[in-house]
Amino acid sequence: MQPKTNRTPPIPMVAGIPDPILEGIAGGWNVEDAADLNDGQILEADVVIIGTGAGGGTTAEILAEAGFKVLMLEEGPLKSTNDFKMDEREAYHDLYQESAGRMSKDGSMSILQGRCVGGTTVINWTSSFHTPEETLGYWAEEFKLKGSSKEEMTPWFERMEKRLNISDWAVPPNENNAVLSRGAEKLGLDWKVIPRNVAGCWNLGYCGTGCPTNAKQSMLVTTIPGALNKDSALVYSARAERLIIEGKKVLGVEVTALNSDYKPTGKTIIVKAPHVVMSCGGINGPALLLRSKAPDPKKRVGKRTFLHPVSFSFAEFDHLIDPYYGAPQSIYSDHYQWKNVTGPAGFKMEAAPLHPGLTSVLLLGHGAAHYDAITKLPNINALLSLVRDGFDPESPGASIELADDGSPIVDYPINDYIWEAFQRSLTTMAEVQFAAGAKKVRPAHVDAPWYENIHEAKDGIKNLEFRSNAFTAGSAHVMGGLSMGEDLEKCVVDSNGKYHYLDNLFVIDGSIFPTSIGANPQLSVYGFACKLANQLAAKMKASA
Amino acid sequence: MIETSRRGFLQLGATGTAALAIGSGLATLTGCSKKPATAQGYKVLREGDLLFLGALAPAVLVKAYPGPLGLDARERLLKQLDSILNTLQGHARGELLMMFDLMNSAPLRLATGAPWGSWSEASVKDADDFLNSWKHSSLQIKRMGYAGLCKLISISWYTQPENFPTTGYPGPPVKIPTPVSA
Repeated sequence: MQPKTNRTPPIPMVAGIPDPILEGIAGGWNVEDAADLNDGQILEADVVIIGTGAGGGTTAEILAEAGFKVLMLEEGPLKSTNDFKMDEREAYHDLYQESAGRMSKDGSMSILQGRCVGGTTVINWTSSFHTPEETLGYWAEEFKLKGSSKEEMTPWFERMEKRLNISDWAVPPNENNAVLSRGAEKLGLDWKVIPRNVAGCWNLGYCGTGCPTNAKQSMLVTTIPGALNKDSALVYSARAERLIIEGKKVLGVEVTALNSDYKPTGKTIIVKAPHVVMSCGGINGPALLLRSKAPDPKKRVGKRTFLHPVSFSFAEFDHLIDPYYGAPQSIYSDHYQWKNVTGPAGFKMEAAPLHPGLTSVLLLGHGAAHYDAITKLPNINALLSLVRDGFDPESPGASIELADDGSPIVDYPINDYIWEAFQRSLTTMAEVQFAAGAKKVRPAHVDAPWYENIHEAKDGIKNLEFRSNAFTAGSAHVMGGLSMGEDLEKCVVDSNGKYHYLDNLFVIDGSIFPTSIGANPQLSVYGFACKLANQLAAKMKASA
Repeated sequence: MIETSRRGFLQLGATGTAALAIGSGLATLTGCSKKPATAQGYKVLREGDLLFLGALAPAVLVKAYPGPLGLDARERLLKQLDSILNTLQGHARGELLMMFDLMNSAPLRLATGAPWGSWSEASVKDADDFLNSWKHSSLQIKRMGYAGLCKLISISWYTQPENFPTTGYPGPPVKIPTPVSA
């Protein structure tokens, strides 16, 4: 054991940062902890929005600015700037679904999702991309999605880029990301700088534990305050159990108040609103509709939930990488993303920030080999590949089921199609890492040793056994489950975001995507939410 | 009880590694009314689980354990594990507790490659052999158990600030919250 305690973080102290949420509440915002409400209390609004992530936050601000009385419900707790102390232990417990331990049914994928006011935007790594043109084209053709061509969507992406200060990251990449740009450059692979939703970023690297400086333009510091400043209401620690449905109308939402342990307090609250917006994401959204026994004649609810399955490759360098400091993602490569639209899956390469807890999980293993690797953390780089799932019949995605307690189960078996993409991406990442000067490279598979050169790596990766649970497969992007489009055999939400089978239910979040995006999804959600929420506002005005 | 898992664990007997009294084992698992109480000071883990996880820790973490936490290491690890488990929902929670129930039952434990009378008797080598047998098992349920145990123990350990020096991580900047002005 070699304690290396002499080095201090590059920025020793973060102080003097105001907390906009606490300030707003002190200034009179309408914000309540559901546990403080009365059992059986009825709340009313013009529109209730279930979920306060990328879709919910964006929708809330737009509808509030249009003059409607908006009520936001959030299952997770309310945590804000003063709480964000760059501590993995606290962050996973307070801000992530199941302490970052949410997993697929067979345990082979670890799914990172947010669970707090602001949703996954509070814990994501800021990467912001328009929905690729190829993806939009595929949706129009295969799912009869109307009004979402590149020309029609670009103005919406640009609006949200402005709202959330999205632009190409202008600061040199940290060493962890420079491995990707240097290695790709040497190999002649295309690479680019990542656009990020930040304003005045300190380049600390703690986006994943909640931005401590308010630089990250998450929903928590942008649209939610925007909505609350226009007299919207927010009730948190409030889990929507089911929609109260009668015929073709949603009459309201039955809500359970949760305590600080995320357990029901025994109190139920009823929310009544003539318009209901679901922004629960591609796992919890389908689960809510299943619990509500919502009409679903073609049994499409909770089908085609996609996860961008992620493969990881570790590399050891002689020089310091310090993979825990600096903007976590600033370089990407789409070199192998769009060789073809369908057929073998494309993938997007990026870097993965490595804080000790997350690293210990990604390394997957135990004992001496695990210890040897994690004690070298300052000299370790990690690359990841997001596999573009859903664009081929061999890639049907997950189906969402309900556990005995009503919570969701994500059934996503990793099949040959996904494994083939994993092997290809692991090979490419090893090539990049060795080209960038890595001493050794190890794909995150329990059988893989540290390879000393690219020939060993290529050979080794080709011969890795495809055995479920024997390799790290992550997901930080949940897309689909309530496909949008006019093809009723495949879709449950129409091109305007209205649930096909109910008159007043709208789905405005990442669950509407008919396939995975092929890029980090937040700006796709913002853009579609902006469009659909504006359409909804117009519809609500017309019917008022 | 979750059907798939129970079927999966029952397969352990069918591989012929030991002639189990499956009947008595089943009785232990299906008698949900006779669940052991949680351990004192814990929200999810039972006494048997503490022994099981405590026996695995030195095999998973090797030289990192007990490390700078010294005499507090075991309790800090177990309390952190308990905190994580308490936030798991139906499926993940059910799978893990099912595995723990299996580990607490001597006849079933025998069939899983853990022949000692109790986990407090297992040596570090015993624990390591057990982990390796699950790691390389042809049964998906054991591989899932291996991965789950390693991930839980690792993340519970390495997120403790006292253990940062073991990894070489200098730690995060200090955050000083700002009092509310209103």
